[in-house]
Amino acid sequence: MSAREAVLGAVRAALGRPSPDPAAVAAEAGALLADPDAIRPSLPLPDPVAAFAARVVSPKVGATLDRIGDLQELPEAVRRYLAGHELPRELTLQPDPALRRLDWTGFELREAARPDEAVALGRARWGIAETGSLVFHSGPETAVLNHFLALHHLVALRAADVLPHLEDYAAVAGPAPRNLNLITGASGTTDIEGSYVRGAHGPAFLHVVLVGAPLP
Amino acid sequence: MAAVFQYGVARALSDPNLKLAIDRTTVTAERKRAAALADYPQFAAARERGTAIKDHVVANLDHYLEEFERNATASGAKVHWAADADEACRIVLGICREAGARRVTRVKSMLGEEIGLPHALEEAGIERVETDLAEHIVQLAGETPSHIVWPALHKTREQVSALFKAAHRVPHEADTVEAMVESARRELRDRFLSAEVGISGANFLIADSGAVCVVTNEGNAELTTTPPRVHVVTAGIEKLVPSIAHAFAMLRLLVRSATGADLTQYTTFHCGPKRPGDRDGPEEFHIVLVDNGRSRMLRDGLREMLRCIRCGACMNHCVVYRQIGGHAYGGTYPGPMGAVLTPALEGVDKARDLPHACTLNGRCQEVCPVSIPLPTLLRGWRDRSWKEGLVPRGVRSGLGLWRFAAERPWLYRLGTAAAVRAMRLFRRGGWIARMPFAGAWTRYRDLPAPAGRTFMEQLRDWERGR
Amino acid sequence: MTANPRGTEQCPRVGLFVTCLADAIRPRLGFAALHLLEAAGCAVEVPRAQTCCGQPAYNSGDSRGGAALARRVIAAFEGYDYVVVPSGSCAGMIRMHYPEALAGDPAWLPRAEALAGRTHELLSFLVDVRGWRPEGVSLAASATYHDSCAGLRELGILAQPRALLREVEGLELRPLTGNDVCCGFGGTFCVKYPSISNAIVKEKAVLIEATGTELLLGGDLGCLMNMAGALHRRGSKVRAFHTAEVLAGMGGGPAIGEEG
Repeated sequence: MSAREAVLGAVRAALGRPSPDPAAVAAEAGALLADPDAIRPSLPLPDPVAAFAARVVSPKVGATLDRIGDLQELPEAVRRYLAGHELPRELTLQPDPALRRLDWTGFELREAARPDEAVALGRARWGIAETGSLVFHSGPETAVLNHFLALHHLVALRAADVLPHLEDYAAVAGPAPRNLNLITGASGTTDIEGSYVRGAHGPAFLHVVLVGAPLP
Repeated sequence: MAAVFQYGVARALSDPNLKLAIDRTTVTAERKRAAALADYPQFAAARERGTAIKDHVVANLDHYLEEFERNATASGAKVHWAADADEACRIVLGICREAGARRVTRVKSMLGEEIGLPHALEEAGIERVETDLAEHIVQLAGETPSHIVWPALHKTREQVSALFKAAHRVPHEADTVEAMVESARRELRDRFLSAEVGISGANFLIADSGAVCVVTNEGNAELTTTPPRVHVVTAGIEKLVPSIAHAFAMLRLLVRSATGADLTQYTTFHCGPKRPGDRDGPEEFHIVLVDNGRSRMLRDGLREMLRCIRCGACMNHCVVYRQIGGHAYGGTYPGPMGAVLTPALEGVDKARDLPHACTLNGRCQEVCPVSIPLPTLLRGWRDRSWKEGLVPRGVRSGLGLWRFAAERPWLYRLGTAAAVRAMRLFRRGGWIARMPFAGAWTRYRDLPAPAGRTFMEQLRDWERGR
Repeated sequence: MTANPRGTEQCPRVGLFVTCLADAIRPRLGFAALHLLEAAGCAVEVPRAQTCCGQPAYNSGDSRGGAALARRVIAAFEGYDYVVVPSGSCAGMIRMHYPEALAGDPAWLPRAEALAGRTHELLSFLVDVRGWRPEGVSLAASATYHDSCAGLRELGILAQPRALLREVEGLELRPLTGNDVCCGFGGTFCVKYPSISNAIVKEKAVLIEATGTELLLGGDLGCLMNMAGALHRRGSKVRAFHTAEVLAGMGGGPAIGEEG
């Protein structure tokens, strides 16, 4: 007998019933997602973009936030950030066509992050207001390691792509990507005496640039 | 007390650093969890729903295992099954050998500890690099985890500092936690990128997509699972959820209960190996589904324990854990959940103290995000150890004698009347500081001396006086 | 049984379960309970057939022994309108665990469930069932309160003792850090694992002393003996009483461990 048969057989014997009806199981699973508002935190602000913006800079996420009206302004926003941190104008750019099209004159750009990369810039597909998360799908336009190797992770996000809750992502996501990365803050650890320190293995700084929602 | 447990407890209680270290982390964890729940008025309803989701999965476990296998396979993953720990380790070692691995990186996984994977890798001569900061500390110290969320919780910052200074190529200079974390980052970075195989556990298995959810705050999981050519997941069969939306409902409970955050910094769902055009990712993606006693727990009345999502809240809030720490429990899993799991995994004869070394105060059940009736399950183990004759003879005969009298009220009256008079011979003022057969109490505490006559004796006079 | 074995709503017949600890160690607590129940308008009887609720056996894994004692308690108390116990732990045993202990016994299970439904811990009974509050009771002292685990988590007793103690003139109640954290008593736990129990109660004693109060109050004699015993060993001056004693106007008498 294979291990597969042994495990499944032992589970069935312990459950002591014939195989369940898949339709009934699916219906029950669906019912367990009913009334999502009863089980998720309500947003502190009615507008998801405002809630997201407030959330990412709160201590819970601890990111910094910049706002620009149009994606064309992103290089300038990056320049501002780098100047503020006294960093040279070089970075790893996510191979996203929308980012590549921008005018990066005066920047040294790399396609793949180096092991000791200082800055990586990416574009998130969605933002989640509930948690302040940035959502990435791996693929030809998105390398996973770019989110993790650099000390400073800069992320552009269109305000129109902010979703209220985690379940709203599940509804729009489509087929599962190879890697779905939800990033909710810089890398942190509490492994030494429970005290919180940033930059454990991944980025120590997370900077979000919200596009299409300029400061009033 | 069995000698091994007694030794572990004595060692723990006499180590002043241990109590200091336990308090530093658990006190913070308790405070942060309370704050997170205060911000989440829906918690009670979410907890009920989370409990129902896990119960639904366990009741249909065969269905979900097959659905997960089908979808994971369709995504290009290779699914393996292991009935026990040895088989699981054999499968992982086989994959490592096939990949020609000399160095593997590993993300903290309690299942990996449970099946003895660290040891198996070492025996096979494969260099194992623990990437979770706490596991890195534990590895340098040559120890095992003492907590399921903070494996190095038993170490003070001073101890960690000494370990890093001895082992790191370019150790920290300033004795701050920040500098130590920086030192580990430096030390591990090139190892992440040079491993042939990355091994992780799973927080959730998503049945309808075949994806595997792994959460960390450090980002070490992605650095472990992305660069190597092969990614191996070991997961207990109870980790299933129907869909990603169900996983989100569980994550809200898990993270708040574990660290008091609302979501982990890095929450990643892995679905199959590298796809055409992908910039990075492993070329092979293996998932090892491990039973190792779980189907037996399902059969033997421990079904509710299969809800456990390994948040560690029960141990953070356990008065016993907070005194003796994780190592004294002697198993992979400490605290209340460990006291239920270890007898199931290793046999109640080998872990007979664990279900008894608990005051049944119920705080663990109160904080459990999936409402596991831990005290009831512990009492169940006590029943079994009584039936199997594992309760020490002294306890058994003492209780037998007491019960013989308690079932005969006249004898009981006589016995208690005699006993209180005897006890009073040892009093000094109103207290007894030493008395035969009461050493377990009086060694540490004074015992209030009984009144001269029992309530039942005095009651007669009281009634006559009315 | 008489033709009308039950009392009236104004004057219910209450069977007082004294508990084995109060019977042997602190009879004053039994009399305090008697007094309070009568003050709350109950006709109180103390069945002579009572010994112990069976919890030590049940929690040690001797479920047969626990069930045997449960049957005796049920037989002794089932004629009353209410069973009242000056302990959350023993009341919890009857309310929550008798039906579990006798789940496999179809003849006794309904009787266990019926008794469970009529059984109450003393302080919660006074407040929730009788709507009673002390009148003219005074005690000039400062006190802190420890919530024993079984009463707190099995029976939800938290507000009731405080509501009662608020009515005691001159008594100042100060909060205890970790009031809902186990004191390390745990029934037979404290003698099976004395070193762990001691480590737990030592921490509790420090927190009690930190309140700076004169008195420690609680609702379970076992926990109070544990904490009072640890406090006395440390040389602490904090005195411990069961809440019922204070409410019954016996707070001026000897505290736990003081000669009467």
